[in-house]
Amino acid sequence: MFVLVVVVVRWMYSAVIYKLGLFGEDPTLGMLAQVFPILADFASMFLIAAIVHLDAIPGMRQDWLVRPVSRLDLVIEKFLFVVLMVDGPVLLAVLFQGLANKFSFRMSLVAALWQVTFLLFALILPIFGFASATENMTQAFIFGCGCTFLISAFLTIASDLNGRAHGTLEPVPYSSVGWVGETMRFALILVAAGTILGLQYFRRKTLTSRALVLAFGFAILATVFLPWRPAFAIEKALSPNPSVGANAVLVLNPQGPKFHSPSGLAGSARHDYSTSIFLPLKVTGLQTDTFLISDRVQVRLLDTHQKNVFEGVGEGLQVAKEGPDPVEEPVYQEIPLHSSLYHALSGESLRAEITYSLTSFAMKSSYSMPALGGDERMPGFGWCQTKMNEVETVVELRCMWPGKGPTCAMLFLENETTGRRNPTRSACHGEYSPYSGWYTGDNMAHFGANIPFRDPSGLAKFPVDGPQLPQSRLVIRVYEPEDHFTRSITIPQIRLQDWQAQ
Amino acid sequence: MIYVDNLWKKFGRFDALRGLSFEVPEGSAFALIGANGAGKTTTIKLLMNILTPTQGSATLLGVDSRKISPRELVQIGYISENQDMPSRLTVGEYVAYLRPFYPAWDSELEVSIADQLRLPIERKIGDLSHGMRMKMALLCALPYRPKLLILDEPFSGLDPLVRDEFMEGLLQQAGEMTILISSHELAEIDGVATHVAFLDEGKLLFQEAMSDVIGRFREVRVTLEAEARQPNPAPKEWMQIRAVGHVLTFVDTRFDKNGLNERIRSRMEGVRRIDAHPMALRSIFTTLARAARDGAI
Repeated sequence: MFVLVVVVVRWMYSAVIYKLGLFGEDPTLGMLAQVFPILADFASMFLIAAIVHLDAIPGMRQDWLVRPVSRLDLVIEKFLFVVLMVDGPVLLAVLFQGLANKFSFRMSLVAALWQVTFLLFALILPIFGFASATENMTQAFIFGCGCTFLISAFLTIASDLNGRAHGTLEPVPYSSVGWVGETMRFALILVAAGTILGLQYFRRKTLTSRALVLAFGFAILATVFLPWRPAFAIEKALSPNPSVGANAVLVLNPQGPKFHSPSGLAGSARHDYSTSIFLPLKVTGLQTDTFLISDRVQVRLLDTHQKNVFEGVGEGLQVAKEGPDPVEEPVYQEIPLHSSLYHALSGESLRAEITYSLTSFAMKSSYSMPALGGDERMPGFGWCQTKMNEVETVVELRCMWPGKGPTCAMLFLENETTGRRNPTRSACHGEYSPYSGWYTGDNMAHFGANIPFRDPSGLAKFPVDGPQLPQSRLVIRVYEPEDHFTRSITIPQIRLQDWQAQ
Repeated sequence: MIYVDNLWKKFGRFDALRGLSFEVPEGSAFALIGANGAGKTTTIKLLMNILTPTQGSATLLGVDSRKISPRELVQIGYISENQDMPSRLTVGEYVAYLRPFYPAWDSELEVSIADQLRLPIERKIGDLSHGMRMKMALLCALPYRPKLLILDEPFSGLDPLVRDEFMEGLLQQAGEMTILISSHELAEIDGVATHVAFLDEGKLLFQEAMSDVIGRFREVRVTLEAEARQPNPAPKEWMQIRAVGHVLTFVDTRFDKNGLNERIRSRMEGVRRIDAHPMALRSIFTTLARAARDGAI
């Protein structure tokens, strides 16, 4: 029964995603696309638990315990059956989805294999280990609810503490190196599942196993506190081209123009609770056709007694160098501070220490397609379509590719006849994971960006506007990370009030 | 066949077994007797490696119970009153599932046992009555002719007819197999057991051949000329001593036909008559249970 539910739901989800296409405008299908993966995951969990409970480990009444059943054979057979029944439909669904969307067999298969491997660690192993420490479905459900409550409580408290610590407590999750924490969780899951399954199937130590479920569970949750430095050090060691960022220099540019808020409102007036300062920077040493992105900006402010008065994170930084002689645009480092802290310190002389974890991207390929009505399959990139939105302010780009896809893209509209082009928009994947896979759904990367050509308020004018779109193309420049490195700026004396937005 | 040495099992602070030691000779039908909660099921679960001992050891077929592997389990049949079998399968499906696990499985014997026990092969296990389930457990334990058959309270909750069918099925196939059977009902093992061990609150009070037990217990009635009084001190082998009028009754646990008169007359005067009656197994069990409860043994 559960087997059938898992297969049907997984395949229906793939069919829905296929029918949705790139723009996914059908609201009913859109809703189903949200619901099906959750249903499929729950059905998979029930299936795994049901298979494990056919020959439950805890308890003293099970007939199989007195039969000449090899425990090793039993656990291997169960595990392989679970992998076949849970991963099998996913493998086929992702493969057929890739083929149906006219991607190559190889690309589709690789994406499908990544997804099933991901699900093995993220779903099958933890549920298999957990279920082996429970006696029946009712017990598994009750324990599962208890664990869910504990996890939610832990994450809520951790998130609250992180907020109080200005984002310094949970630096890795949802960052560009979030995959390091995720990989650590998978490693812990592997060790936990191996230990618990060993204990259960060969020694039947249910109490110890349940204690281990809790201990490993907390260890896995504790990975949200993984410090930034070692995580980024791993990323740094994996830099594909470690010399690219060697000449990059970031310094404070005290003579640079002060930041002017585009809205005309000073930073302090933007929010009651937060006030930002903007430090002008000079960035040099970038290679041509590269851009620099900050993965994390750690900020420390110290008073004249070298006492820490603030430790937190600054806003992200992005600097591009397009062509050999680009127009230099001012770069600002925004540091948001709690308004009460800002007012307490604004006139004081402080020392600022800013540590940047940076990634240098290099352009790998460039594509272009009609700004309107484009439908292109770009080798090495994916399948994309363009269209104008209903209120005629932006060109919508939607793309799909099997697997992880490119990391970053720079997008702009260019009039083919005049050569005029609009400001560049960037769209990045968010993290540099060397593998791909998702907790729910398929392994098709869905990428989208809206490229503006008209400001409804009339304040901004675009070089390529609406009437020019039929003669214009959307240029997509694909960038991949080359080098991950760190830089520091130390400002011996600074007064916050001098650097507020004008 | 089974050798148990100083076996202890604790559940938290509760000592379910307290230094249990006994031996089941090969080819015997060994009855483990005791009241509910005496530790019979715990002992059997330890023997089958369903539980692990806190201290001590047990050996079955020459292998430590903690190291029992499929190699030993193909030679052991196990039937328990509270055995969970897959309720979604039919009797036939489950028997077919078990068959390949036992190289010595005799399909003809399986059919003959199923016929004899009148088991509904097509019915789901979940729909069987308790009695039917016990008979089915027998069907799943006998066709591979195990060397050792372990039965944990097999008659509990069975009506007399089913119990007789069960016993008939068991005894017909028993052959040379060694049987360990636990029960709190002595009448049930009467005529089956060759050896008996009495368990009380996790301790073994005695173990011996059934013929010896029957032979050494007698209910003795002594009629005196004068008013009967309890002997002081009473021999420790006399239990349940009662003096009513001119009659003194007791249970002699070391009955010796030749020495009884002499032993009685050396302790009391004016003995008019001595009668010694054999005891039913149930009465022996009750006597021992009371003595154990009173701390007399």
